[in-house]
Amino acid sequence: MSARVYLSAALLATLAMPAQAVSIYAGQARAAAVCSQCHGVKNPSADAPFPPLAGRDEAYLKTALKQYRDKTRPSDIMNAIAGSLSDDDIANVAAYYARLKP
Amino acid sequence: MKKIITKPLAIAIFAALSLPTSLHAADEAHAMHQLYQNNCASCHGSDHGGYLAPALNADTLKGRSPTALRTIVMAGSFDTLMPPFYGKLTDDQIRALVKHLQATPKLPNPPFTIDDMKASLKVYVADESKLPEKPSYAIDNMDDVIGVAARGKYGRGEGSRAVFINGKTHQKIGEIPTGTAAHIIDYNPANPRWAYVKTDTAEIFKVDLYSMQAVRSIKTGWNGPGMGVSRDGKYIMAGSFVPHNAVILNADTLEPLKTFELEGIDPDGKQVSSDSGMVIGTPFDDIFAIALENAGQVWVVDLKDDFPVTRITDVGHHLHDAFLTHGGQKLMIASYDDSIVAAIDLKDRKIIKKLEAGCVPHVGGGSAVVVDGRTLGFGTNFGDCDKTVVSVWDLDKMEVVKQVPVSGGTESPAAHANAPYVAVDIISKDRRARTIQLIDKKTLEVVKTLDVGGHAYFPEYSSDGKFLYVSAGYNGDEVVVYDSTSLQKVASIGMESPAGIFAHGRVRYVTRGLSPDEMAQAQGAKP
Repeated sequence: MSARVYLSAALLATLAMPAQAVSIYAGQARAAAVCSQCHGVKNPSADAPFPPLAGRDEAYLKTALKQYRDKTRPSDIMNAIAGSLSDDDIANVAAYYARLKP
Repeated sequence: MKKIITKPLAIAIFAALSLPTSLHAADEAHAMHQLYQNNCASCHGSDHGGYLAPALNADTLKGRSPTALRTIVMAGSFDTLMPPFYGKLTDDQIRALVKHLQATPKLPNPPFTIDDMKASLKVYVADESKLPEKPSYAIDNMDDVIGVAARGKYGRGEGSRAVFINGKTHQKIGEIPTGTAAHIIDYNPANPRWAYVKTDTAEIFKVDLYSMQAVRSIKTGWNGPGMGVSRDGKYIMAGSFVPHNAVILNADTLEPLKTFELEGIDPDGKQVSSDSGMVIGTPFDDIFAIALENAGQVWVVDLKDDFPVTRITDVGHHLHDAFLTHGGQKLMIASYDDSIVAAIDLKDRKIIKKLEAGCVPHVGGGSAVVVDGRTLGFGTNFGDCDKTVVSVWDLDKMEVVKQVPVSGGTESPAAHANAPYVAVDIISKDRRARTIQLIDKKTLEVVKTLDVGGHAYFPEYSSDGKFLYVSAGYNGDEVVVYDSTSLQKVASIGMESPAGIFAHGRVRYVTRGLSPDEMAQAQGAKP
C-alpha cells in the first residue's frame, strides 16, 4: 500500500517537473557514451580534426545539435550521431559541456 | 654505355605500358602498407599479428563485413583505445585499407637487427656535461617525481608524451613528446636524473629529469614495451613483441651491446620463436630476467663477459608480467593460460612453486605489503571467466592466503607501506571500467569503490604514500589524484589517454608496497 503511495508521489513529481529541466548528470553520461569518443571530455586530441565542446555556449550547442539532427546543417557523421539524440539528450548534453571548464 | 642504359629503360617502359594494373596494385599495396604502419601498427602490431589490439590480417578478418570494418575505423570502438579515424583518413583511404587488411597475411617475424638499432640512434643533446646540475624546477626530492605514460588519442602524434608531475603539488613539471604511445617509464637506480621511456613502437628515450628533455633515443624493434634497468644503472635490457628479440643497451649512450633471439622449447615440447614479456632488473644481483611469452621460459642474463644466459624452462603457458620479492631474489611471474603465478628463485635459478592466481593473471607492476609480520603479495587478473578475484599470497610460505572477490577483471594493483588500502583497477567493459576498488590491507576485504571516470586504470601511490594517482584513460583524458586515507579527490591533471603511472620512488622499493628498508637490506647484501 505504502509502496503505491510513494510510486504515485514519484509520478506526480515527474509530471510536475518543468519540461525544460536539464540534468548535467544525464548529460555527462550521454556525453561519455556519444560525444567524448571524438570531442574528448575537456579537450579533443591535439591531433583530432574535431572541435572542443567544453565551455561552449549552451544555446549554440543546442542549436547546432538540432540543426545536425534535422539535417539543416549537413555532416555525414554528425547527422547520424545527432539523429540518435532526443530533445532531452540535447538539452542535457549542451548543459553538461557548457558548464565544463576546458 | 648509352646502350646499357637505354635497354633496361626500354624494358621498364614496355613493362609499365603493358602491365598498368599490376604495377598500380603494387603501388597501392605499398601505400596501404605505409598507411597501416603510420596509423595502426603501434597497437595492432607491425606484423599484422596483433599487439595491444587485435590482429588485422587475411585470416583474422576472413568473412568480416568490409562495411562493418570501415565503420569501426571511421567511428572508433567504444570503451577501447580504438579512436575514430573520421577526418584523419579519407573515405577512399579507409576503403582501400580494409581491402588491404583482408588480403594481407600475418608477416613472418619481420627483422629488426642490431644494425637497424644502431642506425636509429638519435642524439638530441651531444654534450651532457652542460646539463644543469640540479632540477630546473622546485622539488623537495626527486622521489616525488611521478611519470605518466600518455598514449595520445591516436597512439601517436602530439598527444603521445611522457608527462612528469610533482607528486606533492600535483603540478606538471615536464612533458617529453615521444612520437608514438609511451608505455613504460623506468628510472635509473644509481642516478636520480635519468629516466627511460619506452613506446609501443619499441623506441627508448633517455630523459634528463633535471632539464626535462630527451637527450637520446633508439629504436629497439617494431613493437613491444618490455624494458628493465640494471641495479647499477649501467645497462638497459629491452624485449620486443615484434620481432622476437631482445637487446642489452649501454644505459648511458643507448648503444646496443648484444641482441638475443628469443626461442626455445615450450612446456609442450615444441621449439618455438617467442615474443618478449616482462624484462626486469633486480636489486638482488647484476642480472636481468626476461620472460619468453610463448616459449614459457624465463631467461636470467648475467651482466658480465658476453652476457651469458641461464634458461629456466616449463615456467608456464603464455608468460607475461612479474614482480619481485625478498630483496629481489624471488620473481613472481604470471602465466595467462595456466592461470598461475610461478615463484622463481633468482639465486638458484629454479621454480619454487606455482600458485593459483585467479583467471588469466596480469600482475601489472605487482604489489606486496607487510601485514602483521607476513609479506603479502597481491595479484590482479583479467578474470575472463566467472571468477573475478584478487589473489593474496603469503610470499614467505608461498601459499594462497585468500582470493578477494572484486567487481570485475583487474589489471594492476597499487600498494604503499604508508597507505591503508591496496588499489585495484576494474577493467570489465561496462560502467565498472570507470572504477577503482580498494582492499583493506588488514581485513583483505573491498571497502570502497571510487568512480574515477573514463577507463580508470593503473593506480599508483605517490612516493610518500599520501596520494593515490589513477589514470582516467581512453576518453577520460585526465589523471585523477586522491588522498590515500580519506579517498577524497584532490586534483586532476589533463592529458591525452593516460595509461601507466610510474612513481620515481619505485627505485627505493623492491616492489610497490614494500618498505624502503627491504631495499636497504637487499643493497646491504651486495657482494
